[in-house]
Amino acid sequence: MDSFVSEPRPASYETLSNNVLKRERRARERQVREEEKKKVTTNKIPENQRQQVANDDTMDPTQFLSNRIKSLALLKESGVNPYPHKFDISMSITEFIDKYRSLYVGEHVENTEISLAGRILNKRSSSSKLYFYDLHGNGAKIQVMADARHSDMDENEFCKYHSGVKRGDIVGICGFPGKSQRGELSIFPRSLVVLTPCLHMLPRHAITSNSDEAQSKKKTRNHSWTPGITRNPETYILRDQETRYRQRYLDLMLNSEVQKIFRTRAKIISYSRDFLDNLGFIEVETPAMTMTAGGAAARPFITHHNELDMKLYMRISPELYLKKLVVGGLDRVYEIGKVFRNEGMNLTHLPEFTMFEFYMAYADYNDLMDIIEKLLSGMVKELTGSHKIKYHGNGFDSEPVEIDFTPPFRRIDLIEELESRANLSIPKDLSSETANKFLLEACEKFDVKCPAPHTTTRLLDKLVGHFLEETCINPTFIINHPEIMSPLAKWHRSKPGLTERFELFVNKRELCNAYTELNDPQVQRQRFAEQLKDRQLGDDEAMVLDESFCSCLEYGLPPTAGLGMGIDRLAMLLTDSPNVKEVILFPAMKPQD
Amino acid sequence: MEGLKVWRLSSSIARPSNLRQLFGLGTSSGLVRCLDNGAAAANATNTRFPSRNRRASTSTSTSTNTSDREAVRAIRLKKVEQLRSKGTEPYGYKWDRSHSAKELQEIYKDLNNGEELDSESHHVSIAGRIVARRAFGKLAFLTLRDDSGTIQLYCEKERLLNDQFEQLKTLVDIGDILGASGSIKRTEKGELSVKVDSFSILTKSLLPLPDKFHGLTDIDKRYRQRYVDMIANPEVADIFRKRAKIMREIRKTVESRGFVEVETPVLQGAAGGAEARPFVTYHNSLGRDLYLRIATELHLKRMLVGGFEKVYEIGRIFRNEGISTRHNPEFTTIEMYEAYSDYQSMMDMAEEIVTQCALEVNGKLTIDYQVGTEIQLQRPWRRETMHNLVKEVTGVDFTELEDDLKVAKDVVLKAVGLGLDSKDKSSIEACPSLGHLLNEVFEIFVEPKLLQPTFVLDYPIEISPLAKPHRRHAGLTERFELFICGRELANAFSELTDPLDQRARLEQQVRQHNKKRAEAVSVTDGTGEQKNIDEDSMYEVTLDDDFLTALEYGMPPASGMGLGIDRLVMLLTDSASIRDVIAFPVLKISQ
Repeated sequence: MDSFVSEPRPASYETLSNNVLKRERRARERQVREEEKKKVTTNKIPENQRQQVANDDTMDPTQFLSNRIKSLALLKESGVNPYPHKFDISMSITEFIDKYRSLYVGEHVENTEISLAGRILNKRSSSSKLYFYDLHGNGAKIQVMADARHSDMDENEFCKYHSGVKRGDIVGICGFPGKSQRGELSIFPRSLVVLTPCLHMLPRHAITSNSDEAQSKKKTRNHSWTPGITRNPETYILRDQETRYRQRYLDLMLNSEVQKIFRTRAKIISYSRDFLDNLGFIEVETPAMTMTAGGAAARPFITHHNELDMKLYMRISPELYLKKLVVGGLDRVYEIGKVFRNEGMNLTHLPEFTMFEFYMAYADYNDLMDIIEKLLSGMVKELTGSHKIKYHGNGFDSEPVEIDFTPPFRRIDLIEELESRANLSIPKDLSSETANKFLLEACEKFDVKCPAPHTTTRLLDKLVGHFLEETCINPTFIINHPEIMSPLAKWHRSKPGLTERFELFVNKRELCNAYTELNDPQVQRQRFAEQLKDRQLGDDEAMVLDESFCSCLEYGLPPTAGLGMGIDRLAMLLTDSPNVKEVILFPAMKPQD
Repeated sequence: MEGLKVWRLSSSIARPSNLRQLFGLGTSSGLVRCLDNGAAAANATNTRFPSRNRRASTSTSTSTNTSDREAVRAIRLKKVEQLRSKGTEPYGYKWDRSHSAKELQEIYKDLNNGEELDSESHHVSIAGRIVARRAFGKLAFLTLRDDSGTIQLYCEKERLLNDQFEQLKTLVDIGDILGASGSIKRTEKGELSVKVDSFSILTKSLLPLPDKFHGLTDIDKRYRQRYVDMIANPEVADIFRKRAKIMREIRKTVESRGFVEVETPVLQGAAGGAEARPFVTYHNSLGRDLYLRIATELHLKRMLVGGFEKVYEIGRIFRNEGISTRHNPEFTTIEMYEAYSDYQSMMDMAEEIVTQCALEVNGKLTIDYQVGTEIQLQRPWRRETMHNLVKEVTGVDFTELEDDLKVAKDVVLKAVGLGLDSKDKSSIEACPSLGHLLNEVFEIFVEPKLLQPTFVLDYPIEISPLAKPHRRHAGLTERFELFICGRELANAFSELTDPLDQRARLEQQVRQHNKKRAEAVSVTDGTGEQKNIDEDSMYEVTLDDDFLTALEYGMPPASGMGLGIDRLVMLLTDSASIRDVIAFPVLKISQ
């Protein structure tokens, strides 16, 4: 197992050998002691039951664990390292499949020697001389057909070794490729060695079937998921949501679709990067910890730098820093990074999430609508092969909806559309008392709930949510938001009181927010002052003045348009995930009791 | 182009008296000076001073004096009003550019002096910031700089509509952002120009550009107002362009080898994977403290357990520690993990990443880092054990030392004691184990000498709690650190996969930390004097039990590496301080 043991030691270490031996011995003793300790705590099974139970499935998990720990201790004592340092693989499982998928049924390529490694997620034996394993790695799977006749071991050794190999173990295999009589692509091991034992019993599929047909059928279905089509987590081997999110490694290991979710997420990000790189954008990094939390309306996390004795906020948006870089002369910048908001958690919100923001000098919000249409429709086409996706927008219990990303996306004007849908005539001066009263009454009339404080901004937001956002299943731009709702957006060039802003909604949720950037420093200061009013009314999500940003604007920000997009929400759409925790590897969870 | 040269020239002049001379020079040659004293125009000389000079010079004065600044601001605000009263919006909405300055310089590089191209096909449109200008009676020259470079605007009164020329002279200041269109001309002096037939003020700037003669030597201000630094010194922006290139090259290199990018959490219940003081924050709705990650290691290893075979993350790491030219509380690393490989193959990966980035950014494998040694990045790089390096430099052969720590310390002090200051001496005496002692001697004597790229191999087990024991040498681990220019650039190991061993080592680490912490508490209780020294260990370290459980499910044999991207960018952009490569570094609260 450990091919390194026999390697000669370099001369300089010869003199160490005595000490080394001593140290090794001591380390071994320590190890055994630790294990003994562990045994006491975990092993409540009487001695006489210690022998290997034929069917591990029926074994108690605690007993399984203690048995494994004991057998490891025995191995270590006999001088064998159960965790070898290195196993050379000649190809990955995926490469193996690509190379040998076209073999004939029953064909063996005995003169080829291949080494593979992966995790065993299924073990079956038809006799003590013939074992079948499913070997998984990097999202792919092949069969291992371990036949004593092909093995380098003699029959006794073979039986003994393979009876000790457990489901969940990571093994390295040297052997030749072939197809079984049933047509299953397999590797036929000359040697098989456990590289990492799995100490715990792995959860199994609820309806375990031993028939190969059922197994392979199930696998085929699992393997066929691709972005844009629906998933059904009810069919997963590991179904318990808490366990899936808390022990994501088990989720990834056992539920083969889950790896694909995260590969899709990686593709979404790299597609976005390539798209902007090709337009001459450069990727930058702005601080995650800042002196003021600006660029958005949200409650920040607060932390403290000890040595500088300084209060710092976790960023709620990279916006203001990115605009500073545009002032500095980087005309096209973007950042993909974590943003933090100290808010409650629900199906679409987590305290940290990934934001994609880009800023483009000399462009306006019309340009950005074209760009984002191109980016999203191109990405959906590339990842799913079509512009239409299926999505369980209302949860896995309801029927999935179809979302069509074919450009151009629908564009609706916020105030106009709201007025026409609700049959209202909203006062033009939205900063007036009259407007506030009007909207408050409108909310009451339509039974649209708006918790206090009843600022005009919040009332409008609720009405838009009720009347407009609900209609946005296919990607829809809601455009031209009022100034009071958009403190960082530039006033509309022809519509007084409004801004050049759009939000892109998909499946009723905001995916992007963008505007022609406000670059008049005087107007920017006024807008911050108005935000302060809302803040004083009790809206603690109103934006705070960032003096360093205002003075930066005084050096001159060119006409610029900027856009922010939530990567997690986009990943949710393309992986049919109604819950944001499906697309975040290690989501924040409530502490366990 | 003239203007740009002035900027370069000016950066080397340190005294205000020279400034006056320059102005004198400017007016005497009939130039109209704008309000920005810093952007005075003058006849250009071809002298180019290396931009680094300004870094070495000390700050003699603060920026433009406040009252000047306010006066400028007031005048310019008036101009904003004036423009609006004429129906011109001084903050435009968009500008369609046909070319960047660099593209034009490239396309028309063969145009002869004095030659003009007036046909429709040579009609171009550009936009950028005005960084210099000279105006005569009916002619004005403006230097416009965009993201890519500079180009001259050649403005003739007759060619412009209505009062546009007057506007240009009275309402446009250096620092404003302009869009301009026109035809192409190379002046008799050889300056490629856009012969303007219309222009638009896109953004009126309110503040004067920094006073070149003082402002840019104020290092603190350079970092606090990075955008000003970038406007004044285009090569500062170049560092961030190079940084972006390096990031892209790293991604390209690892992705072409099948690595998948993932994102692991920044906010964590326990901060593990390194020994460092974490930032603490509080999550209101969960009602609990959270820590900012100090490494991505433990979560990325969970991915290997989950069946990913090659993963990486490029992300922000946070450590609640002091700031210096090499340390910023938040910094960027790439951590990568590969199943079925060991630390030997990670060395190849490190060589590959660094050389690819060097070629991409500098086009060559030699680097003149700061003043001094030429760094040779040609592969393969030296690979040597820590034992041998320590022996080479100090003469102490740790393999010959007995297992007695006290004796070992005596041997070390006897061999190197003369060259030690008291701080180093006491840290040697404080070493709790042979492994720590070896490492301490290495850090003091060997590290600073490792200028050329060197992989230091086989670290003692006592200081490597996440590395796999060496396959041949007890007491050591399969770990390397990569040093270039005396700085650690990467840290990698064959990963420890044995969950029992890992648990024992992490528990040991927690015990050691708690002991140090208890000592620190007792010291502060006692005298209060040593408070600063020991506050370093006052934070809490907890065991990441979930990580250990993941290992019990089995992680394949693997190797992993963390590489500091900021330090790599420093090396490849010849930057002396980490603050030069981080756009907005953390700074002390300004007074």
